[in-house]
Amino acid sequence: MTIAATAAALRRAGLGGITGSPLAFAVVLVAMALLLAVPFAHNGYLNNVFRNILMYAAMAYGWNLIGGYTGYVSFGNVTFFGIGAYSAAVLSAHGIDNLAAGVALGAIASAAFAVVIGIPVLRLKGHYFGIATLGIALAVADIVANLDALGGTSGLAVHQVDDAHFTVYYYAMWLVALAAILGTYVIARSKLGYAFVAIRENEDAAAVLGIWATRYKVTAWAIGAMMAGAAGAIFAPANGFIDPSITFATDANVFPIAMTILGGIGTVAGPFIGAVILAGANELLQRYFVKAHTLFFGAMIVVIVLILPRGLVWLFGLRGGLRTWAKSLTTYKA
Amino acid sequence: MHLLAQDLVNGILAGGILAVVALGFSLVWGIMNIINLAHGAFIMLGAYITYELFTVVHIDPFLSLPISFGLMFGLGYLIQRYLINWVARAPILTTFLLTFGLSLLVVNIALIVWTSDTRGVTTSYSGANFTLGTVTVPWAKLFTLIAALAITGVMQLWLVRSKTGRAIRATAMDVGAAQLSGVRVAHIFAIVFGLGAGLAGVAGTLISLSYALNPSMGDPFLIKAFVVCVLGGLGSVQGALIGGLAYGIIEAFATQLDVTIGTQHISGSGLQDAIALIVLLIVLMVRPRGIMGRATA
Amino acid sequence: MSEAALHIEGVGVRFGGLWALSDVSFAVERGAVLGLIGPNGSGKTTLMNVISGVYKPVTGEVRYGGRRIADVPTHQVCHLGIARTFQIVKPFASLNARENVAVGAMYGREGSKRSTRAAFERADELLEIVDLARVAYRRASDLTIPDRKRLEVAKALALDPEVLLLDEVMAGLNATEVEEALDLLRRVNQRGITLIVVEHLMKAIVSISTCIVVLAEGRKIAEGAPADVLASPEVIEAYLGSRWAKRQQQLEAIEAERRAVQQVRPPAPS
Repeated sequence: MTIAATAAALRRAGLGGITGSPLAFAVVLVAMALLLAVPFAHNGYLNNVFRNILMYAAMAYGWNLIGGYTGYVSFGNVTFFGIGAYSAAVLSAHGIDNLAAGVALGAIASAAFAVVIGIPVLRLKGHYFGIATLGIALAVADIVANLDALGGTSGLAVHQVDDAHFTVYYYAMWLVALAAILGTYVIARSKLGYAFVAIRENEDAAAVLGIWATRYKVTAWAIGAMMAGAAGAIFAPANGFIDPSITFATDANVFPIAMTILGGIGTVAGPFIGAVILAGANELLQRYFVKAHTLFFGAMIVVIVLILPRGLVWLFGLRGGLRTWAKSLTTYKA
Repeated sequence: MHLLAQDLVNGILAGGILAVVALGFSLVWGIMNIINLAHGAFIMLGAYITYELFTVVHIDPFLSLPISFGLMFGLGYLIQRYLINWVARAPILTTFLLTFGLSLLVVNIALIVWTSDTRGVTTSYSGANFTLGTVTVPWAKLFTLIAALAITGVMQLWLVRSKTGRAIRATAMDVGAAQLSGVRVAHIFAIVFGLGAGLAGVAGTLISLSYALNPSMGDPFLIKAFVVCVLGGLGSVQGALIGGLAYGIIEAFATQLDVTIGTQHISGSGLQDAIALIVLLIVLMVRPRGIMGRATA
Repeated sequence: MSEAALHIEGVGVRFGGLWALSDVSFAVERGAVLGLIGPNGSGKTTLMNVISGVYKPVTGEVRYGGRRIADVPTHQVCHLGIARTFQIVKPFASLNARENVAVGAMYGREGSKRSTRAAFERADELLEIVDLARVAYRRASDLTIPDRKRLEVAKALALDPEVLLLDEVMAGLNATEVEEALDLLRRVNQRGITLIVVEHLMKAIVSISTCIVVLAEGRKIAEGAPADVLASPEVIEAYLGSRWAKRQQQLEAIEAERRAVQQVRPPAPS
């Protein structure tokens, strides 16, 4: 079969479209299956590294829904991660150490916050939305740091299971990441996904076609918030301790964005691919350049934005390959 | 009662700096539609330039104003011309992320060069005050306010009277028409961005007199720059000035908040970002164009 | 005579100090093709915006199916049964033609009853009708101008409208494309959809409209059957200009003379 015929067949099967490259998606699923095996290496360090990758992947998928699919670039999604983490910590402080309960509360609390703050804030467009979300992240960090009930700047200790059972955190994070991947896939195949994309492409035209933008924007943000919140709720006990500087850190805010962009914004496979590459690179860098790793990330974002504005997965879909890509470098030049 | 007057004065004094902080940001945003997330980092660089000039060559901070302006202008020009210009017409996410990445770069380079140790610029007049009735006015802050007003005045004059200033305003109104009139748009954009960076540098110099220096000092100013622009109205010098003074006063009063609910102590001074956000949201909901803004989309 | 479906009564719209529309009133019959013409700046697009709920009128109201359009939020207007195309086409650029139309089928009047698959099937049908099936999988941003206009129409049709507003759909088309467009519009109308067409092309409007409304400087200056309206002195004055009017008079005089001559001298037997 020729490439064109294969592509046509895949299209008719419903793949591609706004889910992105089917091949990339298959790669992601295979990688996830392989990741199941990591705890069997009985290496605590590896467990942590890959658990982090899965965590960032989940957060990246959360960002991808509102930033990638719906086109509302949020610089404050770290808030949801923090809410998730603190939800689990608060439960733990009250004696409830059940991981599932923590994840459930983390996800629900984050989603609720997204809905409440989203209704006013999602009325803002473009730049205004971006900075408002940055403001929200900073403001929430401020408030949490000032609340004694949440430990203020000293933070909260979170109950941790013993070493023998520690892999539960790994598998929990794996499940959350899987849910994020599959959830995104299901959404991208459904009417909901098309509503998001329509809003991104032209919100006014979408309204004329019957899409009530507010409802769908808030939905996108809330679902994305759940992903980040769930990840945070597992991070808290896995880390054993949280404080505002950890849970609302710039890294936690920026990495998911950079990962999604590198991997492929607005696709199903992109965030995972980006997470693996960047979190993996970050691990290596942290070992060799303790001080400079955020510097690297800054440089990475600059480079990615300039040469791969739509990420790796989109690159796969480009007809003409390298030549088209080289030409595309100057499309946005003033 | 005297406390209120002191707060008001503090607010006005701080407002002057905020006006300069916001001015550069507003120009770049209003004219090029770029939100420069590295603006805070540029402010920080300006402060450190002043610090180095002061500690190494003993140049008084006020005298270093032209130097920090010049250096930062050059840096901004180069960044725009040879980096940002590649994606000048891209969707906003692109420039947003680019400047965000730049900001990370600059701040982390600063962290390597200067470490995270807090530094300060302490001049002979640093602690000196005079009193007006019940109000204490630090000399340094008063000079800062005067300098800020002078700078905004000069900018306004330059934008209106000079040939380049007119070219800038023309480009802001209609890029295509400006090009047809012979304006070299890429050059103008670079100048505008350079101006934004230069003004940030100047703001940094002024800030160094009253605030402690460390590589992440620019972040809070970025958010405040944004709020001041929205509050005062985008794209005009008057807007930045009015917005700066207004926000300075609001913040001065809001940080006085000091209540205790049960065992929870709430102090306004630790909640500056929250205050900024609340002001921002209120303005955007009630009067999005700001105090001085024109009612265009 | 069919019942009136759409009532425009006393509509006025003001931008600052300028009245873009003042006291415009007329009714549109179900199944009609209403041509809306007028010189540039006469308020045609403004009126379209009012009818489709984009602008709220300062005075008067537009009623459809007993409901005031102004009371309905933008995203629900299509659920009333009114759809429109835009003069400056607004496709979803990174989606292909099929997906563009499918979005309308998903969220339009019948959208809630459709699954994703059903929406795409409907999109395929509509692409056939507007002759876009050949580029169904092409990105909207890669379509030619005429194809983008077809896409606009298809998207509007995907909303299962009863009334379709077409704002300068034929601008930028050559003569052949205009004929194709007119043909398409006739087919759409034959399915029972009421059309309101804003166009500058006189011949196009005349050939397709059952009724014409003329606007000038925000006011309605004529309404009625195409022939009557175009012969009306106010319309000629305001819109067609005195040169055209003079030429028409000259042509009519020549024609009258020719008929007079033929009566005296009958045509030669063939």
